[in-house]
Amino acid sequence: MPQTPLYIVASPHPRVGKTLLARLLLEFFHSEKRPLLGYDLNPREPTFAGYFPRWVFTVDIADTRGQMELFDQLIAEKPVSTVIDLGYGAFEQFFSVLGEIGFAAEARRRGVETTVLFISDRAPATVRAYGELRRRLPNVPFVPVHNESVSVSFDNDDFPPSRPEFRRISIPRLSPIVRGVVDRPSFSFGSYLVKPPSGPTEIHDWVATIFNSFRDLELRLMMGQVTSALGGVSLGPPPIPRR
Amino acid sequence: MAKPTIIVVGADKGGVGKTTVSRTLLDYFTAHQVPTRAFDSEAPKGTLKRFHPDCTDVVDVTSIPDQMRIFDTLSDASVTVIDVRAGLLSPTLRALRDIGFLDAVKKGQFTFLLFHILGSSIASLNEIEDTSQFTTDAKYFLVKNYFNNTTFFEWDQATHANYFKKLKDAVEITIPKLNEMAYEQVEVASVPFLTFVANKGPKGDSANYSFVLRGYVRHWLGNVWAEYDRIKLNDIIAATPANPRVQVVR
Repeated sequence: MPQTPLYIVASPHPRVGKTLLARLLLEFFHSEKRPLLGYDLNPREPTFAGYFPRWVFTVDIADTRGQMELFDQLIAEKPVSTVIDLGYGAFEQFFSVLGEIGFAAEARRRGVETTVLFISDRAPATVRAYGELRRRLPNVPFVPVHNESVSVSFDNDDFPPSRPEFRRISIPRLSPIVRGVVDRPSFSFGSYLVKPPSGPTEIHDWVATIFNSFRDLELRLMMGQVTSALGGVSLGPPPIPRR
Repeated sequence: MAKPTIIVVGADKGGVGKTTVSRTLLDYFTAHQVPTRAFDSEAPKGTLKRFHPDCTDVVDVTSIPDQMRIFDTLSDASVTVIDVRAGLLSPTLRALRDIGFLDAVKKGQFTFLLFHILGSSIASLNEIEDTSQFTTDAKYFLVKNYFNNTTFFEWDQATHANYFKKLKDAVEITIPKLNEMAYEQVEVASVPFLTFVANKGPKGDSANYSFVLRGYVRHWLGNVWAEYDRIKLNDIIAATPANPRVQVVR
């Protein structure tokens, strides 16, 4: 049985596009008509929850009660596709608790596959944080994300994925005007896609490219699970979807 | 066959976590399938007995009938853990000397371990010198329990060295801090730490403890046991050394 995804959108730095990626993932789930849920771990500025008040809960994991609210809930419910927008302020604590309580293994046992989508940037501290996290959580898949609005170049050596087949996700740069539209609190990718103004626009192409990356990633994650279930026997690389 | 082992867990100061340490020891021996019994000197109601009712008796270690209950039956279990109530450590050690138990340890008839739980006060550290006179043939462990965020004068190296470096044969054990809510939840559940981690109730029935809190307890218990493994506790209780004093683990 395929595992239900839990995506953790993470970066140790602010303003690198975490909330944008979390929004896109949730809209992707919605477009596929999946049961979905989101958590916004930015209690002071819950932007992600602001976009999806019905689907996204704001949780403060600074104290144990908040940690229970989040992690107990993630494994207690019937698994649904879930996105966590991990604010940079909670970055250290989140991964510290996650590792300490052995969350990923228990989640996997209950049919939930935890995947970290790590947004890269050029700061050496980010590169170090990525490497250290991967060492601390060797059994959690890490997929690097390159937000072209944040950094022009991306070095594969700095942000290697957990497995070679987990290719990085790229978020193409949007023109400033379109970005302004997308960032409006009332903007919904889903609604926009359903009701196009008059034919395809820059946003349509942009969303299609990203959603294809998500499909590609989910396929590769699923293949990884099948490979693991077969005791490490590789079934060969999955087909690459046409873009 | 291994000699019977007696582990005394105590401190003259109260509130330093003696029973918590005793509970981790009982869980450790349970996990290693070592037959163990325990005595709780917190009469009439023992805290240790609340968590480990099946293997614990409440006793008054200063009374002769109860001393007979403990020491005349040592061969009945491979390990006996005695959780000594606050203020009774020195009287208990004197009683052990007076009944000839310490002489029997010297002759190699028993293995004797003292877990001295320390508090962060000079009075507590002063107990070390008083206690050490009874531990010539014992394995003496100085237990720093960090469960309440205490310090042991590490910030004042002179004071720290004065107490912790003098006894060459004493071995330090560090008990890390456990998340407060996790600790309280185990208190409410009144079950051994191991049972809590396994999400079981007092009668082995399924429970519904928080996964987060169970995770905190599992991680913490693992760290405590790593300390017991470091001092080779399992080897000590299984060994029959000719001269236990020389076998002290560093």
